[in-house]
Amino acid sequence: MTDLILILAIFLALFGGIAALLVRSAFDKLICLGILTAGVVLFLVEKGYLDVAIVVSLLMPVGTIFILLLLGKKQEAAK
Amino acid sequence: MIVEGICVVIAAYCAIRAVFEPKTLKKLPYLNVMNFAVAGAIVLLMPYPITICAAIAYFIGSTLESNAIASTFARLEEQ
Repeated sequence: MTDLILILAIFLALFGGIAALLVRSAFDKLICLGILTAGVVLFLVEKGYLDVAIVVSLLMPVGTIFILLLLGKKQEAAK
Repeated sequence: MIVEGICVVIAAYCAIRAVFEPKTLKKLPYLNVMNFAVAGAIVLLMPYPITICAAIAYFIGSTLESNAIASTFARLEEQ
């Protein structure tokens, strides 16, 4: 039963990373980074590092919000 | 076994759908649903009580991230 969730973590991390490389728009890249982070948090919980998982999942939106503050000033980023 | 299967299928389907959706604002609900399914999978992984803290932290962080992306994108589009 743990194998199924481990396969999900591998799929999410690889799929999010490859999609973040290939996608053009900046907002789509942030969405793909969210998918990648879901896989990373699943890996951390599966190995038992629950405190690291808590810190990573609370600090992940802080980095995204900093990127969004810089991105919100550019008009051409919305295309 | 069945519960993990449901979580894995929902997360994988929504990750694929979120990447291949053409419009950015339509990607964000699928990202949100994928985050809910991953939070459910985190709870099912380990038998300790602190796992629920990790799931709560991941839930809060991922919801905050996708809502921040959505609000910034909507504000940029209406300008």
